[in-house]
Amino acid sequence: MAVTSTAAPRRARAARGGPLERQASRLFWPFVGPALAFYALLFLAPIAYAAWTSLYKWDGMGAMQWRGLGNYQTLLDDQAFHYAVTNTVKILVVGGVATFAISFLLTLALREMAGKMFARSVLFFPCLVNALVFGIAAGFLFGPTGPVNKMLNLLGIDAVPKWLSIDNLPAMIIATIVWTATGYYTTIIMAAVDQIPTYLYEAAELEGANAWQRFRHVTLPLSWEVVSVCAVLWTVSSVKVFEIVLLFGGGATVSSAPIQTWTTAMYVYYSAFPGSSVPKLGLAAAAAVVSLIMVGVFVLILRRMMRRERVSL
Amino acid sequence: MRAPKVLAAGVVAALALTACGGDKGTTEEKGGQFTYWSMWKENEPQAKVIKAAIDKFQAETGTKVTVEWQGRDIRTKIGPAIAANKAPDLVENGFDVISSLLASTGQARDLTPVYDSEVPGEGKKVSDVIPAKYLDAMPKDPDGVTRWIVPYVLNSAMFYYNKADADLAKTPATWDDFVKLCETLKAKDKACVASDGDNTWTNFLFMDYLLVRDNGPGTMGKIVNDKTGAGWDQPGVLETAKRIEAFVKAGHILKGYDASKYPAQQTNWATGKAAFHLDGTWVPSEAQKNLASGFKVGEFAVPTTAGGANTELDIIPLGFAIPKRAKNPEPAQKFIAYFLKKDNISGISTEAKNITPRADVPAPEELLDAQKLLTDSPSRLPIDGVSGDYLDKALFPAFSELWLGKATAEQFITKAKEGHLAYWKANG
Repeated sequence: MAVTSTAAPRRARAARGGPLERQASRLFWPFVGPALAFYALLFLAPIAYAAWTSLYKWDGMGAMQWRGLGNYQTLLDDQAFHYAVTNTVKILVVGGVATFAISFLLTLALREMAGKMFARSVLFFPCLVNALVFGIAAGFLFGPTGPVNKMLNLLGIDAVPKWLSIDNLPAMIIATIVWTATGYYTTIIMAAVDQIPTYLYEAAELEGANAWQRFRHVTLPLSWEVVSVCAVLWTVSSVKVFEIVLLFGGGATVSSAPIQTWTTAMYVYYSAFPGSSVPKLGLAAAAAVVSLIMVGVFVLILRRMMRRERVSL
Repeated sequence: MRAPKVLAAGVVAALALTACGGDKGTTEEKGGQFTYWSMWKENEPQAKVIKAAIDKFQAETGTKVTVEWQGRDIRTKIGPAIAANKAPDLVENGFDVISSLLASTGQARDLTPVYDSEVPGEGKKVSDVIPAKYLDAMPKDPDGVTRWIVPYVLNSAMFYYNKADADLAKTPATWDDFVKLCETLKAKDKACVASDGDNTWTNFLFMDYLLVRDNGPGTMGKIVNDKTGAGWDQPGVLETAKRIEAFVKAGHILKGYDASKYPAQQTNWATGKAAFHLDGTWVPSEAQKNLASGFKVGEFAVPTTAGGANTELDIIPLGFAIPKRAKNPEPAQKFIAYFLKKDNISGISTEAKNITPRADVPAPEELLDAQKLLTDSPSRLPIDGVSGDYLDKALFPAFSELWLGKATAEQFITKAKEGHLAYWKANG
């Protein structure tokens, strides 16, 4: 294998000593300050406000009542939140593994296939379609007498699955998310794979590496940086899954989606804007804070797990 | 032709206002002004009826109405507007939304003055044209007020069927008759009711009605408010659950209901695949375009049990409310009374195809049975107005198992009680 790897310096070199460095350090705050102020104002302050709100009982209009950690206790006791967290983690882990496995498989096939640009566009297409379409299409395609079941009947399968029953909805939702996300991540990963010089593959082939070995020893290490960024993007986006759940659950209002299908984002929305009960903004904020911590922890774990020494050519 | 006329009327009204002069909102204009957030989008039939009334109101009174056609999103916008002290002067929605968002939080204005005022030009008070029984059923706000809404649409929930179908010529008077009729239909290979398995609120209407028929008024409300969960252990409640279990097990629900997505089965009912459908009075207009040819929609109430003692009928009013922090409540109140005039509110029936709370405004033809039932029956709130939070989190997961044939009546009671105790632990 003609790959050499060198460890990249972990830390930037100490910014002390010479006049250039001194100048640079003097300009540090004037340059970073405005950006930091914006960031604090637009991101940190709202998060702090949410954290503060989560300690109160509040309908969003009247006076706020102190609840301390009461809202967090409610989350612990609330069956709906248990469903929400379980579903979100399922989407993140099961959906994530499936999405990336399929993306890699496609990468493997796409790298060498003719007309790959066209194939890529086709794969990317579902990502552009509004989730609304899937919600409506699912009702038609997977209904008891829909085309999917008709086809299964033609194939001689009489015991057709109840695709849209409440028990199966979470799996249907994950499958739809995987389908739409695969094209997106395949496109990003393919962009990285395109940068890998073909002579590496040729050399690998000459040395008798099969398709899997070429993937394992050439493609994966050389696209690792991009893959790990994709993994973070996936984590962040999966915690925000919302509209697809809403649409699979019926569509008109949040409450028409059964709690068995809720995600944390649905829970937050339902608490803040319920159909016919008093808004609970404190609870919504608490659930949002918990989601935020969840993403943070997952991203940290993921970054740690995926940390590799940079491979350079 | 309509739009230019409307526009012209608006321009005239605006000019009339400028002619009157004065700073907006601060000095006394001829009729003042108010802001109105509608739950309809501008192209919906209800919006067209309201818009026509606003135009006439502006021209006649010189009041300037600033209307925003918010659509259903209004629900999420009222709260923040009130918090920012920018509350609109007039809002509208279903009673359940207004109740939970404004009334129960003490943010809705007492509209008793509207009920005491006269419907312009009719020599009658608003309270004379809107029967008190509809309002007395409303949940009380923190001050004990039930007059925080003035309805202009009166929905209900009942059975729909095809009056032209000879098999359904005689509507059942008791639940037992109903089940017998279902058996007869079954012998003819006809399904009895259509139901979308994922539409749990609608499906629960069966149980909700049977609970009051079997156990008397307010049963569900009492069960929910007893935090010990003892309400679920009453023998009468189990009996009702057993009726549902027997109905489900007998196969009276059109097949495929446990694996379809709303409104697939409602459509199947409209095309004639099942005899009956129980849901809100919005069904006839929703199903209109799918109705089989010759289909003549009629209604009847969920039949009685236990000697026919309880004949209560659900009311689902939709109407106006005024936030307490509204800055111009008086002109808004005047508009409410104005809209209830027969020639204004009639459009809600003729154009928007809804029943109005005025008994002297005939409902659309397909809802005439429903209107008669509403006039003749005592009123109640669906599911006793229990908070949606309780239903979605505690009750519906258990009930959907019973309805989808996955749990027996006893298992349902056990699961509902578990959900009940968990709910009150989390929300107590």
